[in-house]
Amino acid sequence: MAGTSSVNEKAEGGMKAKRTVLTVLATGWFAILSAIIVFPLLAGLIASFRPGTELIRKGLSIDLDFSTMTLANYKYLFGGNADSQKYMMWYKNSLILTAVSVVLTLFICYIVAYGLTMYNYKLKNFLFFIVIATMMVPFEILILPLYKEMISLNLIDTMAGVVLPGVCGASTIFFFRQYMTGLPKELLDAGRIDGATEYGICFKIMMPITKPAFAAMSILCAMGAWNNVLWPMLVFRSAEKFTLPIGLNTLLTPYGNNYDVLIAGSMFGIIPVFIVFLCFQRYFIDGMTAGAVKG
Amino acid sequence: MSKFKKFFYSQKAAPYVFVLPFILSFLFFWIYPLCSTITMSFQDITPTGTEWVGLKNFSKLLKDTVFHTAILNSFEYMILTLVLLIPFPMLFAVLMDSRLVKAKGFWKACLYVPALTSVVISGTLFRLMFSEYSTGQMNVITAALGLGTFKWLKMKATGLTALLVVCCWRWTGVNMLYFISGLKAIDTSLYESAEIDGASAWQKFRYVTIPLLKPTTIYVLTISVYAGLSMFMESYMLWAGPDSPNNIGLTIVGYLYKRGITKNQLGYGSAVGIVLLVIALAINIVQLILNGTFKKEED
Amino acid sequence: MKKKVLATLLSVAMVSTVLAGCGGSSDSASADSSAETTEADDAAAAEDAGDAAAEEGTEEGTDEAAAEEEIPTSTFGDPNGTHLEMWTFVELHGQHYGNMVEMWNEQNPDRTIEITCTTYPYADMHTKLLTSLTAGTGAPDICDVEIGQFPNVVAGESTWLVPMNEYAAPYLDTMVQARMDVYAGADGNYYGIPYHVGATVMYYNAAAMAEAMGISQEDVIAKIDAVVTWDDYAALGQEYLDAVATDGKYWTSVDTAGCDWQWIAMAEYGEDWTGGFGGTANVQLDSVKKMLTMEQEWVNSGLAEVSPDGHVDLEAGFQNILDHNIVSFPKAMWYMSRFTNYMPEESGNWYIAKCPVFEAGQKCSVGIGGTGTVVTQQSANQELAAEFLAWAKMSEEGEQLIWDNLGFDVCNTVLWNDDAFAHDDSNQYNQFFINYPYDVLYSIKDDIGTVYTTAISPTINEQMCNVTLNDILENGMDVDEALQAAQDVVDLEQ
Repeated sequence: MAGTSSVNEKAEGGMKAKRTVLTVLATGWFAILSAIIVFPLLAGLIASFRPGTELIRKGLSIDLDFSTMTLANYKYLFGGNADSQKYMMWYKNSLILTAVSVVLTLFICYIVAYGLTMYNYKLKNFLFFIVIATMMVPFEILILPLYKEMISLNLIDTMAGVVLPGVCGASTIFFFRQYMTGLPKELLDAGRIDGATEYGICFKIMMPITKPAFAAMSILCAMGAWNNVLWPMLVFRSAEKFTLPIGLNTLLTPYGNNYDVLIAGSMFGIIPVFIVFLCFQRYFIDGMTAGAVKG
Repeated sequence: MSKFKKFFYSQKAAPYVFVLPFILSFLFFWIYPLCSTITMSFQDITPTGTEWVGLKNFSKLLKDTVFHTAILNSFEYMILTLVLLIPFPMLFAVLMDSRLVKAKGFWKACLYVPALTSVVISGTLFRLMFSEYSTGQMNVITAALGLGTFKWLKMKATGLTALLVVCCWRWTGVNMLYFISGLKAIDTSLYESAEIDGASAWQKFRYVTIPLLKPTTIYVLTISVYAGLSMFMESYMLWAGPDSPNNIGLTIVGYLYKRGITKNQLGYGSAVGIVLLVIALAINIVQLILNGTFKKEED
Repeated sequence: MKKKVLATLLSVAMVSTVLAGCGGSSDSASADSSAETTEADDAAAAEDAGDAAAEEGTEEGTDEAAAEEEIPTSTFGDPNGTHLEMWTFVELHGQHYGNMVEMWNEQNPDRTIEITCTTYPYADMHTKLLTSLTAGTGAPDICDVEIGQFPNVVAGESTWLVPMNEYAAPYLDTMVQARMDVYAGADGNYYGIPYHVGATVMYYNAAAMAEAMGISQEDVIAKIDAVVTWDDYAALGQEYLDAVATDGKYWTSVDTAGCDWQWIAMAEYGEDWTGGFGGTANVQLDSVKKMLTMEQEWVNSGLAEVSPDGHVDLEAGFQNILDHNIVSFPKAMWYMSRFTNYMPEESGNWYIAKCPVFEAGQKCSVGIGGTGTVVTQQSANQELAAEFLAWAKMSEEGEQLIWDNLGFDVCNTVLWNDDAFAHDDSNQYNQFFINYPYDVLYSIKDDIGTVYTTAISPTINEQMCNVTLNDILENGMDVDEALQAAQDVVDLEQ
């Protein structure tokens, strides 16, 4: 909390010096925190440059012994062999699935949350209660009936079957609703006076000022979709539809793990989501939010 | 037609149009499976047939000491995650939101990567780091500090520590992001006027930031309660499966998974699920009522 | 807002193209072009490639064609033949069927088969299989089932699975009967076909022992061969430890997350804690108590340590072996592939011998682990699938490939002393170990006991590995007390 310390009665020079110290402290704190958080991944990254047997031999050691480090795992991963082609296929499937489910989920959750926040009507609290209730149902207990349902709806082995049950994510709706509760409702009336329809207000007036929520949620949904294993696993039947986590998981068996491909493949699997994350957060969080909320 | 159109565009109909997708999804993907699950919790389902057994599954749960361990573990874990994963990310978010931090994007990205990492890989990495073998990273650290080595994943206290480390590792960045997003919605003029009134940094935090972050905090609290109670993947990752020594890593959902999915005891597994549902629902409703979320907002 | 969504989508798409490009650039031109086509086209192209490869294989009549041809799909055999779906959780298993289907098609040109093998993650495959069997739809024709999961699947008996008795009959006289029995249902029918015996043997690091004890490797082997009882074994261990005299070195490690030691003890006394099919489970057996008491003494006296990570078949276990912290341990024959995969530098150091016994004349081995392959009732071609499966896993051709490619101790006992089969020096396992693994196996041919895997097995196993073994070996709890607690939990389930 030292960060936002009051600066009222300080001489200008002292203030500057103090600011510099605080900046160094605050930035340094995040540097340390980031270093700790990134450490396991760094260890994994180093391991990905070693043969799998070396991982067994030394554990996740982070000493940079270049003599044992090779590009062999990555060469193998991108070498165009059967494993590498499979890997690329998983990769592509994951990207497509993630993109589709993020866009659908955000859109639907936004309008539902909008309907739950911006109007007063009888069923409102009841519906909101149901949203919360669905959030409390452990997904695992719904699997068998849902799976049966997917078969009868002919959605098995399709992307729709994977995406649809999760499209009304209760936690996403909940977040949007919480966010919109803090927005000025006068905008609605102003819009109506200007002659906009209810739907026009929703999409043209309210949507733009909900951007920060969209930003946070898009990253979260992407993450969920990218790492989701259990449900896609049940719905997808054909190997050519497998996503990356399912594929990587096939490398871990009770009959021995394929560490070479697993570690290198997983490390490479972080990169695109990471890039997307960087793009997103600059676009949404830093760039636009301040202005949008003020305006 | 125009009558319908008029109705469709009216202020009365609009909210229902907005929530329609949810109602559909709710009926198809929740009500039906949930009813099946409730039905199953009163049944004994074997491959050869289904039998109604009344409350037998539930009365068995009362005697099942393993299940009691699971509940206890989940509660301990949930409470500790609430303590660790709400105040700290909130402080980090405020700090991050201040003008003092340079290269914000980079730090945010670093803090967020764990959440982007596939469970398969982070599980393997942490399992190796918490290895009881002397090359495990944690043992290297504790040995360097003169504390000796630990059998991390075999003892209750160290096992719980490992779980919390994984949990904080994965979720600190995410929760921080929620709070940052909430902070963006706070009108900066409020801070300006507080400053004019001569408020200190702490006063601004206490009387402006915390109250205005309340919707976000409630959200984080609600999902943390549920996420804490239903934690499973983290433990599954660390112990490379649903089993752990003396069940130190067993959680309610872990038990549900073991019974309902691994052992295919659908009836008994469903009963475990129903208990979890009731507990989580009860806690959250109490908490939401206390926070006044259900009050009609008329501002 | 929409623009932003579009921009996002675009960036995702760009990333994917870039990546696909990366993968393709080092590959042929065809891969490049496919990276730009749609998903559906891609899948179709992959299928075509698979078919083409499979056809080539048939025409040339070579087994290697399918394995060497680098194709992302795993469909093998004659595209005009009957189509079979197969699920497994080990990719190599799938390839085994791929190889076998080529041979089958040659021998049975009028009943050709095309088989698609899909490798799923271990836990997910079993979940998916159970879910599909319960739902009554969606299961494959043929499926691998790990022995620990087998009771859950075989619970469905003939409503879920096809009895294999008739199809296995031609091969039964040379098979290890016990391995057929473990994959039987409560109704006595055989439902699963085994890959291997999983006979437990004792692995010794003869090179490390020779070095520590300052004697030749031959002398060490002579000492190992002289071990008959567990007392002899412990005495040899003490001799080794006295010679090595270093902290952190142990003779062996005892498991807290695996019941192998208890299984050996039960087999030696001819007991079984599951009580067999229809029996009553009882974990308070004399054999189990004896073994646990002995293990506990070893841990206390410093002869043995508790296995890091709970058993030797995990990362820390491999490290422990590589660091020569332990120089002997009992494990099933399939552990050989762990040596070649994860510990290649140990080549030439290890000697395989039979396990010690409590009293001379007892059986000295037990079949541990394994995967039974089943045919489901949902299959539209049950007869063909069952006949093919039995042939692929039990015929001499099949057994040869199982040994060469998968490194398992096959169930066909006739092959065990077949010189061409057992003493083939081009085989990697024969090269790795000091002695021929099959010589050991042949010498214990009549001494391999059985512990059944029944409906109660997962419960016993779970309780032992999670609680009981930890309490006894890590926390020093009294053996009788810990077993009583285990029995209470087991009783709740039966």
